[in-house]
Amino acid sequence: MISRSALFRTLSTPVILVLLLVVIAALAKLTGSGPFERTVTETFIRVVLVVGLYIFIGNSGVMSFGHVGFMCLSAYATAWLTIPPMMKKFSMKGLPDFLLLHQAPLIVSLVVSPLFAALFAYLVGRILMRLSGIAASIATFALLAIINVIYSNWDSVTGGTSSVVGIPMLTGIWLSLGGAVIAVMIAYAYGVSRFGLALRAAREEATAASASGVDIVKQRLIAFVVSAFVIGVAGVLYAHFLGVVNPDAFYLGLTFISLAMLVVGGMNSLSGAVLGVVVISGIIEILRSLEKGIAIGGATVAIPNGLQEIAIGVIMILILIFRPSGLTRNQELTSRGWPFRREGASKRALPPAMPEQEAYGKNH
Amino acid sequence: MTLLALDNITVKYGQLTALRQASLSLEAGETVFITGPNGAGKSTLLKAIAGVVAPAAGTIRLAGENIARRRPEDIARLGFSMVPEGRHVFGNLSIEENLRLGTGIRSDKAQVRTDLAAMYEIFPALFERRHSPAGLLSGGQQQMLVVARALMAGPKLIAIDEPSLGLAPKIIDQVYETLLRLRDQRGLTLLIVEQSSARAMLTGGRMILLRSGEIILQGDARELAKGDALQKAYFGYGEH
Amino acid sequence: MTALLQIIFDALSLGSIYALAALGIALIFGVMRLINFAHGDYIAFCVFAMLAPSTDAMAVMLLGNLPTVLLVPVILAIGAGLSVLSELLIYRRLRDANPATMMVASFALGFVINHFILMLYSSRPKSISLWPDLSLPVEILGARLPLLQLLAIIVTVAIVVALALFLKRTRFGLEMRAAAENFTMARMLGVRANRVILLAFAISGMLAGAIGLLLVAQTGTADIGMGGSVMLVAFIATVIGGLGSLPGAVIAGILIGAISVLMQVILPLDARPFRDAFVYGAVIACLIWRPQGLFAPKSAKQRV
Repeated sequence: MISRSALFRTLSTPVILVLLLVVIAALAKLTGSGPFERTVTETFIRVVLVVGLYIFIGNSGVMSFGHVGFMCLSAYATAWLTIPPMMKKFSMKGLPDFLLLHQAPLIVSLVVSPLFAALFAYLVGRILMRLSGIAASIATFALLAIINVIYSNWDSVTGGTSSVVGIPMLTGIWLSLGGAVIAVMIAYAYGVSRFGLALRAAREEATAASASGVDIVKQRLIAFVVSAFVIGVAGVLYAHFLGVVNPDAFYLGLTFISLAMLVVGGMNSLSGAVLGVVVISGIIEILRSLEKGIAIGGATVAIPNGLQEIAIGVIMILILIFRPSGLTRNQELTSRGWPFRREGASKRALPPAMPEQEAYGKNH
Repeated sequence: MTLLALDNITVKYGQLTALRQASLSLEAGETVFITGPNGAGKSTLLKAIAGVVAPAAGTIRLAGENIARRRPEDIARLGFSMVPEGRHVFGNLSIEENLRLGTGIRSDKAQVRTDLAAMYEIFPALFERRHSPAGLLSGGQQQMLVVARALMAGPKLIAIDEPSLGLAPKIIDQVYETLLRLRDQRGLTLLIVEQSSARAMLTGGRMILLRSGEIILQGDARELAKGDALQKAYFGYGEH
Repeated sequence: MTALLQIIFDALSLGSIYALAALGIALIFGVMRLINFAHGDYIAFCVFAMLAPSTDAMAVMLLGNLPTVLLVPVILAIGAGLSVLSELLIYRRLRDANPATMMVASFALGFVINHFILMLYSSRPKSISLWPDLSLPVEILGARLPLLQLLAIIVTVAIVVALALFLKRTRFGLEMRAAAENFTMARMLGVRANRVILLAFAISGMLAGAIGLLLVAQTGTADIGMGGSVMLVAFIATVIGGLGSLPGAVIAGILIGAISVLMQVILPLDARPFRDAFVYGAVIACLIWRPQGLFAPKSAKQRV
């Protein structure tokens, strides 16, 4: 399917990304700071989430607002599976017996819960994937909202809007690093596979791709399901990181920040997904410690409370103004060199296929 | 008087060079055709003049002023009007609204009213349905509408991209007949892109041949039709 | 009969707010292909602009103390001003960026405005008393409804009519309509891009102010998340109505309000909490049936 040389060339990207993540993990361990380790763990979980988003959004070009819903699905699934039966009987009486009476180990849940999310994605995707563009985006928004409404109100099974507690807190820095590495590898493998290529072809020039035999709906569905699986993994990791879940943790806030990280990093590139998370998480951490106050000389310098969020918003806007295609300019990090300084790199990765239609039909 | 002068215009779309160091000039009152095969850069040339794409290099002078890289709305105010490929009527607006749209840049309101009446005389079909949405017109009628619309802006130079596209031959004849009549009435300068050089040879005027972003031939349309330079340019590889 | 009337008025008044919100989104989307996710925060900003910054649960009115005749224009102006400012500072520089970038920028802007309000006012919802007399019930055709509900409907109709007249009868309106259909072509005919866009933002901002006033009068609270739930529906209504179609956005807004209220009545008691899920399900169904929207503009489509 893929030529050897092509494989070699592109292989450097996931390798570089994985190395980057390992270095960050190592640094975190070296500092020996518990809180910092937790922060890095959470960052890695976000990497899994955003890479999962990239698998669908980056390859299909369709902006999906609904994927965090899959995270919700799998987070609750792992809660159902791994919380000790004693606690489940109180908070989620309506669960079927095979869940209520048993408790599964994390390793089982790590496979089953994302599969659950992926199955749901498959069923829903069969309906949604025939939509394109903005109609698809709004439909995924509606999907997110539906999941949120159902999980917030189906008290007997999900505990409703109150948090479900008792999830074994097993996600440490190495587990989350593992998750991030696996996510990157899945994303890379999908990207160079003929499925990924076909979908990207359809993204750039739908009619030509279709005329060449690409079944756009099927390819989108494949990406949708794969991305749901990866995001499902993020959901499991997150649930076992926090120890609690509630529906609002997987709603608008997380959706916006994850999409922002993806776009700021570079929506159409895997490197963009990873870099977006790392850079923005880094900035958030710096601002957070600035708010707590850092000691300079003998005094503590701190920025006023509440400014931290405003600052991150402003920084993201500034990045987008100066780099509209994101930090990576939609290119990948490769062994060939730094993509950031490439001269003449245009705002788009490829020239518009039919320039005539581009210039006039911009509104369509 | 040289109305339009392009000097070494280069236009790129990303890594793709669509137009390479193109230079040409138009005298006032001239009729010039730009022909060439698909993808030659004809539309790009017009778009560069109109301000829709910004040339990477070179200058464009309209009546002496450099308009390269300026905004389309400013270029329109300098006496240039363009009818792009594919007609692009404002389907939701009425015919009269379409016609009136371009008049915002004119200050001579009385003359605008006269012009509008004149347009309706030339295009009676437009007058009949002047309050219905332009989206309902036939292809040929839409072509007439966009030409009339461009003229309502009162330009000195009007550029038309592929006026024959998607029209039946009889209709194309009508469109050209009207166009040329208007040209003579108002002393317009015409710059027309046509994929087939046949129209150019029928109508007369100057012809410029583009291929792969470069101007490879210029001359009187009828003269070129006689010789075989045209065929060589279209089909020959590496000869010009 | 009375019950039916009650339902109709409920649907119309909820639908009116959704319609106004959808209009604000559709206006900007029409000329810029941008869905302004910050719009809900413009609404919240306008609401809190009436209060003096404080963290108390009881709102201290500042501008809110102005007589109505002044208060309304001032709030509308604040909305317009904030909206125009976002265009000048941010969106103008992203004019040619891809839709995803513009969208994330608008989230980020909304986020910034939201936290700015949070910093000054804290997240506690504050109770406000704005035009309390309007809560008094009025009898219309046998149904009793608060005057405010009726007013919301009347105000919405007035605004929609005024906007329609503006768009149909004025030069600016003509240019905006043309720009919404094909921006580049309009520019080639001399329409000034920046002016049209600024106008769209200004009107959109004023609509945000109007919604803010209506919401405060209706709910009696100032809550930072106020714009949020309305906006979700507004985005959906804009798309369902047909992108670029203003009448479509209005009608879709009213429709969603109507369906919401209808669901509340029709659904069996057990299913009521899931009402919103049904509404969103209906949205998806609508999109599958007509992805281009119910009233997609008739612009001549390019055939490849």
